[in-house]
Amino acid sequence: MPKHIARLLALIVVVALIAFSVRTFLIPDSFYQYGHYRGAAVAEIASKVPKLQGSASCLLCHKKEYEVWTAGIHRKATRNDAIQGVVYKYGPGCEVCHTGPAGNHPSKQAMPLSIEDKVNSITHHEHKVHPANVPGRNLLLKPQDMRGICLNCHEKLAGRPTEQRQIDVATHSGDELCTQCHNPHSPRIVFANLPPSLRGDAKAGKAVAAACVGCHGEAGTSANPAWPNLAGQHANYLVDTLKTFKSGVRQNDMMTPLAEGLSELDMRNVAAYFASTRCVVTGGDQAKAELGKAKAANCAACHSAGGLYGKGSVGISGSSAWPNLAGQNAEYLSNTLKAYRDGSRTHAVMTSVAKTLSPLDIENLSAYYASVSCK
Amino acid sequence: MTTPDTQVEQDRAVMSRRNFLGFLGKGVACAGALVGAGGAVGAVVSERGNRAFQQNDEQYAEAVNNPPQVPDYNWNDHKWAIGVDTDRCIGCLRCMEACKMENSVQMDANHHRTWVERYVYLEGSNTAIVDSQSDPKNIENTGSETKFRFDNRYRNVKVDKAFFVPKLCNQCEHPSCVQVCPTGATFKAKDGPVLIDTTYCIGCQYCVQACPYGARSFNESRGTVDKCNWCYHRITKGLNPACVEVCPTGTRIFGDRNDPESPVSLFIRNNHVQVLKPEMGNAPNVFYKGTDKEVV
Amino acid sequence: MEHVFDHVTPYIGYVYPNETDVPWSQLIVIYPYITGLVAGAFVISSLYHVFNIKSFAPVSRFALLTALCFMIFAPTPLLFHLGQPTRAFNAVITPHWTSAMAAFGYVAGFYLCLLLLETWFAFRADIVAMSKVKTGIMGKVYGVLTLGSDDVSPHALAIDHKFARILSMIGIPSAMGLHGYVGFVFGSLKTREWWSSDLMPVIFLLSAVASGVGLLIVLYVIVSKFRKTPIIDETMRGLLYVLFAGITIVMVIEALELLEIFYKAREGVDTVKALIAGPIWVGMAIQWIMSVFVLAVTSGLLIFEVHGKRLVNWLFLCGLAIMVGVLAMRWNVVIGGQELSKTMKGLLTFYPEVFGRESLFVVGVISVCPYITLWLVTKLLPPWADGKKAVV
Repeated sequence: MPKHIARLLALIVVVALIAFSVRTFLIPDSFYQYGHYRGAAVAEIASKVPKLQGSASCLLCHKKEYEVWTAGIHRKATRNDAIQGVVYKYGPGCEVCHTGPAGNHPSKQAMPLSIEDKVNSITHHEHKVHPANVPGRNLLLKPQDMRGICLNCHEKLAGRPTEQRQIDVATHSGDELCTQCHNPHSPRIVFANLPPSLRGDAKAGKAVAAACVGCHGEAGTSANPAWPNLAGQHANYLVDTLKTFKSGVRQNDMMTPLAEGLSELDMRNVAAYFASTRCVVTGGDQAKAELGKAKAANCAACHSAGGLYGKGSVGISGSSAWPNLAGQNAEYLSNTLKAYRDGSRTHAVMTSVAKTLSPLDIENLSAYYASVSCK
Repeated sequence: MTTPDTQVEQDRAVMSRRNFLGFLGKGVACAGALVGAGGAVGAVVSERGNRAFQQNDEQYAEAVNNPPQVPDYNWNDHKWAIGVDTDRCIGCLRCMEACKMENSVQMDANHHRTWVERYVYLEGSNTAIVDSQSDPKNIENTGSETKFRFDNRYRNVKVDKAFFVPKLCNQCEHPSCVQVCPTGATFKAKDGPVLIDTTYCIGCQYCVQACPYGARSFNESRGTVDKCNWCYHRITKGLNPACVEVCPTGTRIFGDRNDPESPVSLFIRNNHVQVLKPEMGNAPNVFYKGTDKEVV
Repeated sequence: MEHVFDHVTPYIGYVYPNETDVPWSQLIVIYPYITGLVAGAFVISSLYHVFNIKSFAPVSRFALLTALCFMIFAPTPLLFHLGQPTRAFNAVITPHWTSAMAAFGYVAGFYLCLLLLETWFAFRADIVAMSKVKTGIMGKVYGVLTLGSDDVSPHALAIDHKFARILSMIGIPSAMGLHGYVGFVFGSLKTREWWSSDLMPVIFLLSAVASGVGLLIVLYVIVSKFRKTPIIDETMRGLLYVLFAGITIVMVIEALELLEIFYKAREGVDTVKALIAGPIWVGMAIQWIMSVFVLAVTSGLLIFEVHGKRLVNWLFLCGLAIMVGVLAMRWNVVIGGQELSKTMKGLLTFYPEVFGRESLFVVGVISVCPYITLWLVTKLLPPWADGKKAVV
């Protein structure tokens, strides 16, 4: 055999031997243990720390919210609990809405890096801390976010099963926040079940009402027909109204400074007081009222307890967030509609409704509602 | 100085064949056989009975006798499965958000471990219009890729039929992704889920191509592929996968096929269930109730 | 972090959300293209070494070097594409044989070794001669390359030639295997309608041979002009025959494949039609116009028995056309396959990045590298029989 062939052979053998031993050396320890993979990887993947902790973990600190949730419809099955003997998961738990998983909350530290995140190489040397590794991203929800979160499940959407409670946003609430009426931890509104702090105390409210009675009357019936009667009005509506004055959304020379002086509790109490007083029908022009009755169908969807088609008390609103109109001062009603019409007062629904009304319609409607029974 | 090739031609007859066949021929033959045998190996090592995908007898015995050291968990006791009751899905996408949070999935519209599809038949139409959260209109509606919500685009049109279909990794019995992985960085665990060893993945993305269900994606910040593993770190601790945990309507049903009374066993037994793309031959482990001809 | 539509690929219809990030980019387009050029160039070299077709003698060693230089760079697009390039050898350390991709390291490595060995045997006499003439660093380099043996006796050279021939014989099935295998990587995926075809390996292989011949024609003509040496008519005629045979079979099989897709008309065939009319219509147009051009010109050259300068000019154009046409075909297959959604309900449109790790810029750099390397290697090992004196 010529020398160069022998040398070439030697070279090939040496390279092959090196390659083979390097390969043997590089095969990870537990490879081929359970199959064509690194057996140790199974335990490594399983060792990752769960981030979602379940509702029970929230109970440790947030007892009050947890109790409200437990009592409410969100805790119970939103639909049938059992189908053919299978008990399914029930309603949304804490982490469905508070989507920043609890993780190691309330610590502000990042979660320990999982095996998946411990990756380094030439091209990906920098590991960015993932937002989900820092607890608390969405733990504390702002009221503005809350709206979107409720609508995630409850917006009326093609494809959503009819069993799911859904609302058409425009007609249900306009741009009101859901939390105006609903407690997200227990969204079904059962007023009797509301804790006293939420309901307000009528007796305590009477003392606060001392500042109001000058204009709105001792029993909530105003001295001047341009001012609204408060007697028998929905408490929630009254609280919301006071809040809009206090926050400056609505401006009124009299009301703004008065509302600024009221605490949240004061508002609830005074609202409870006026809600508990007996309403009085102020009455309106009979001829106009007859004409207004025909026009009132538009208003019934909200301002009639039975809604558009149901039989309900006319002028008594379906939601406690919307005002009762029955028996209200005709002048006040017409002023309000005019204010919506010219834009000096705004509301998602009312502004557009008022723009469809002529001045004559407004007079007629106001007379109609002023004359219907508020009982 | 160089001998022209033609000159050597004449000496050809003199040459002995043994010279070269002796060493090179054998080496080449071996290498060739090795490569050729590759496909055959896969065919031979087929799973039987309780074996995982491509596990041979010896490895199966090892898996039974010496299971991975996971605290309070033995993978021989479980055979996980998921049922999806599409009639219950309300398309709230809480599963997507919880999944992304739980598993540090990339927070953009192009990388998901789970997602939900919306199928809508407009009045008179025989084909469905399909979209998912990644649809630009849905992202425009919420203003962010990280806020998961469907828009209300069908509000003013007449809809014949519409429904939502949640998608996630099917953890197939014959996973195409495992079949094509060149390194063994992805594998089927004995209890069902197909896992990724992110310390061994080279990021070639062949598995992304091979998955018939589009369940895999490439995580650019890790340089490796990412996929749903039914929250293996949770189910081995007795917890539900994140998507199952947060589903408010019980659309997703998780459980152990080995336990005949587990929710998923009951779900499969008591309903007519089907799997996605059965013609692919992957034998998925996610069972759908109430899907439709258009569902892909 | 919250980057909106960073990598997103625009689409119509419905595609799986994860598909909007196209996994295999333009780097995977040039990978089969470069391996294809290797296969083609090697076939020409072997036609002389194995089948002793004399007309290829002038270019056989040059073809061998071409194959070697392109083979060196064949894996680079893959390395740039990998998410974890440092772990590339995992596939070699623990190859998972059920994966079509696992064999790549072995197939490519084996083929590279084969090319190196064959080159060494083919050039050994020159290396020995050079090691005696050159001094300094180059002298040392040649010295190492001789492996310390200056045996250039007729007996030794006869053995060398024998080895070169045997290696060449092994090389033909290997080259076919290497490229048929690349076709298998695509053709074996049941998930992609556009790839999942039994004809895919054959199409890849034959188009590879055609493009490799095209490359050789182009390089031979340019190098000859550059070196001011005559272009041998017989060689050009030989290349013409191979190119004609290649392009004819490729076109027939590609047409057959399209026909089968449309004739079987399985679910989603409308989307396939939309793909051809939509995202890849430019690529399809280039591929088919170039193919028809090459077929027409080569047929003409054969029928009219063209020789001399006109043959050189027309064949040069054909070589360029087939290279462009096959590149377009690679794009249509690799990118087109991914533009057709797995849902069969949607189409994506891929827009390549211009700068970055996976970008047109990198593709450009990688594509130029084999030519530069070839230029350097021909300095080291001049493959031209007439140029030896000048180099020495």
